[in-house]
Amino acid sequence: MFRWVEHTAELELEIEAPSEAAVFEEALIAFAELAGDGGGYPVTHELELEAEESSMLLVEWLSELVYLSEAEQFMPARIASLELADGRLRATVEGHRGEPKHLVKGVTLHRLALRQDDTAGWHARVVLDV
Amino acid sequence: MSELVEISEVQWEIPATARPDMRVPARVFADRELLAAIEGDGSLEQIQNVATLPGVVEVALAMPDVHQGYGFPVGGVAAMELPDGVVSPGGVGYDINCGVRLLALPLAEAELGRRREALVHEISREVPAGAGKTKRGTHRTADLDVLLRDGPRGFGRTEDVERTESGGSLPGADAAAVSERARERGASQLGTMGSGNHFVELQRVVRLFDQRAAEAYGLRDDQVTVLIHSGSRGLGHQVCTDYVKQMDAAMRRHGIELPDRQLACAPASSPEGRAYLAAMAAAANFAWANRQAIADAVRAAVARVLGNESAEGTRQVYDVAHNVAKVERYDGRELLVHRKGATRAFPAGSAEIPEPYREVGQPVFIPGSMGTASFVLAGEPGSIALAFGSTCHGAGRRLSRTAARKQIAGAELRRELEGRGIVVRSPSTKGLAEEAPVAYKDVDRVVDIVERAGLSRRVAQLTPIGVIKG
Repeated sequence: MFRWVEHTAELELEIEAPSEAAVFEEALIAFAELAGDGGGYPVTHELELEAEESSMLLVEWLSELVYLSEAEQFMPARIASLELADGRLRATVEGHRGEPKHLVKGVTLHRLALRQDDTAGWHARVVLDV
Repeated sequence: MSELVEISEVQWEIPATARPDMRVPARVFADRELLAAIEGDGSLEQIQNVATLPGVVEVALAMPDVHQGYGFPVGGVAAMELPDGVVSPGGVGYDINCGVRLLALPLAEAELGRRREALVHEISREVPAGAGKTKRGTHRTADLDVLLRDGPRGFGRTEDVERTESGGSLPGADAAAVSERARERGASQLGTMGSGNHFVELQRVVRLFDQRAAEAYGLRDDQVTVLIHSGSRGLGHQVCTDYVKQMDAAMRRHGIELPDRQLACAPASSPEGRAYLAAMAAAANFAWANRQAIADAVRAAVARVLGNESAEGTRQVYDVAHNVAKVERYDGRELLVHRKGATRAFPAGSAEIPEPYREVGQPVFIPGSMGTASFVLAGEPGSIALAFGSTCHGAGRRLSRTAARKQIAGAELRRELEGRGIVVRSPSTKGLAEEAPVAYKDVDRVVDIVERAGLSRRVAQLTPIGVIKG
């Protein structure tokens, strides 16, 4: 699950999930909430991303969605497949072309975190400039 | 905060000894009331973080409109000694060269009369507003390289370009340093406003504080003006994204440790630093071209509603950047001044100011929140002595967007503004509520503080008569 935390000028996204892959799924659902409903024809994107650490991979993931929403008016809806291993992510994301409502300027590294806790749950925090 | 030392009624300092990692003190321009509000968010910690950056000189500054951001606070100023002081993309922000341009129409509000609503409507048709909006018929991709290199110089009126900070074109811009992704995000957005706090506002001059400066700026009582607030759109956002990532990866190599990862930086003389500065300059030039295209669109709307003579007579007063890093000289030293949510405010006599304004100081525009007053200021010598040639940039946010929406509904705000005779055009009622006046600090107080601190002085007060929002 995810929640938005109040900030004066930015949006902070907090995620709790049972697995690392589920963190990425929740991040997409949160981003889709920002982009809004409605839309046109269906679109699928195959994404391959890599980063030296998992928190940066989360930044890459959201940054990719930011780019696709602005450059291609892509409104993500769901993940058809997601593989996560050794700092690499491969995913098939389904959605549609539309008019994203709430565009994100950038995915910041401010207070960035992605970690597993003692109870084997995963926590992530990322601040978006909106 | 116990570390705060009162320097004057409007200046407070956190000594460099407050934290072991601070290289210089942090200073805030505020009175007691604003300081109490500033202490309520994380901006004081953030300005102390800025004071840890390698190469930072003298003092890290927070303007009275400061509020919490990411990395730098919004309203932060810091200067790094060149060649080896750092450049931080987060110290400029995602919206590179977000800024404000003021146009003065050749007529008074009384002469505009009942054509006001038609003019606001025409401007809203000419200037696409809202998230990710594009504009048909904008410059071809091949032309983008020219815009990135020259800004508005190739297509803007000569007198507009001359009345733009840095002549609308930062030196050292290199289109090759701008990624393909940045180009894709921004190419079709030239001449668009964007969302968030960006706007085009039709206003009238309600008060003149400094007759001589107002005369130099070509402003008179009751005159109709247009204030344009926009930036480098998706192109600048992507440039920041690209280079924060590059610098984050390079920091270990440069032996830099920071209290906040979003302050990611590299020596300005390093390959990463040079590449960012070249890309940032290109994005800044794109932003000036964007505001030029919006100004041209406003003139087209003026021509349709008021005639060609009025469009021809619509002069640009000036255009200022409030998110940028610039090379400037202070006391014989070459410094890289980061202004994130702060405006250059050079005093009279500066060779950087257009000749017609040189005896009165550089114009600065301080937009209030939607529906409230905006101010035209002039740079004062105190800006050089105390703030690396800088002053504030706006009212400064006080509430989060959600909190603003809880205080007032967009439809209610629209009715309230229209009840005060302000024509409103906005594709997003929600966006309107997020930018409600209640979400911002009192702009009069912010301006009062920069005037008392000697950073800039009031020249004119403008009040909105039409608002077009993203």
